[in-house]
Amino acid sequence: MSVKMGSSSTSVIQAQKLVDQLRVEATMERFKISLTATDLVRYCQEHKRSDPLITGIAASSNPFKDKKSCVLL
Amino acid sequence: MAAEKAEMDALKKECDGLRAQIEAARKAVNDGSMSASAGGVEAVGRVQLKLRKNLKGHLAKIYAMHWSADSRQMVSASQDGKLLIWDTFTGNKLTAVPLKSAWVMSVAFAPSGNLVASGGLDNICTVYNIKAASPKTLRELDAHTGYLSCSRFLSDSEIITASGDTTCCLWDLETGKQKVVFTNHIGDCMSLALSPDENSFISGACDSLAKLWDIRSGTCKQTFSGHTSDINAIAFFPSGNAIITGSDDCSCKMYDLRADQEVIGYQDTSLNAGVTSVALSNSGRLIFAGYDDFNCHIWDSLKGEKVGVLSGHDNRVSCTGVPADGMGVCTGSWDSFLKLWN
Repeated sequence: MSVKMGSSSTSVIQAQKLVDQLRVEATMERFKISLTATDLVRYCQEHKRSDPLITGIAASSNPFKDKKSCVLL
Repeated sequence: MAAEKAEMDALKKECDGLRAQIEAARKAVNDGSMSASAGGVEAVGRVQLKLRKNLKGHLAKIYAMHWSADSRQMVSASQDGKLLIWDTFTGNKLTAVPLKSAWVMSVAFAPSGNLVASGGLDNICTVYNIKAASPKTLRELDAHTGYLSCSRFLSDSEIITASGDTTCCLWDLETGKQKVVFTNHIGDCMSLALSPDENSFISGACDSLAKLWDIRSGTCKQTFSGHTSDINAIAFFPSGNAIITGSDDCSCKMYDLRADQEVIGYQDTSLNAGVTSVALSNSGRLIFAGYDDFNCHIWDSLKGEKVGVLSGHDNRVSCTGVPADGMGVCTGSWDSFLKLWN
């Protein structure tokens, strides 16, 4: 693990950094896709009703729609 | 020389071993797919959004835009050398911020609405107070040795930047100094996004990798591969458990953070243009992806199907954003216009 000061060239230092990083990533606990993907699906379904771009927006409550004034003849 | 070679060989062996270990761990949890999990979900059908506003004002290519947390104001940046702050409900321009350097590539709105930040080929992230009588430069964050591609405020006192110098950085706005430097990418960092809980952020780079970082410790926690070209855009799925990337390889991908791998890709043989920007609707079901083909295509994130398109720009769509209340999508383009759709 330790790199001797005298023998450290840039390539060795870089290689050591790569190994250190891979060690961090290797220790991660991973969860089954069958569970995690289902959880993502559940999130979408649970929040469907509060997603205006899915449910649609009524003209009267649409903040971006230009309001035209009505004239009663 | 021999000692160094031996050291390199040992390190390479360890590196190969660790890579194999990671691949095996990923394979071990690869017991399903998004298609399988989304099998019973009904299709969203054709998503047809209407153009509600065409915002004219910039005189050159728009490179970036960002919604204010109030879902009403929005800031855009153009290489005409200006930031414009818009009231999207009326279409009016509220403030114009003249830039020292016209080569802007990124813009961000602070959650408080008091500050905006921009930067680009000047390598500097400049923070402006827009609540002053006229926009005042608060800080010039000058330490990156490459262009500023993206920035996002954590608060009025902290901002994270991504740079062409391959690093990302957390800055203290009170001192103007770097607090944490995130080094690990081997290509220009092009985009970043904050996690909903603000403990981490993700970055996409020209090394075709996406990385998840712990903000306080500075460590890279996870690396996601699969793209075959620069990642230009990145966003969090609203639950914080997945990320979406957009790349020059013409595809978008969803990576599941807990399974540590790609779970679904979004590509179409008829789509031969690079992805410049991505944004998600509030439930995470729709992905709005801006492309070099002048369109913003809409994907069903769960089924992997194209469900709509926002057409109207006359040049590359360079930026896309959905406000916090999810009430619409904004697209910005090299044609100098911003369009609001819902």
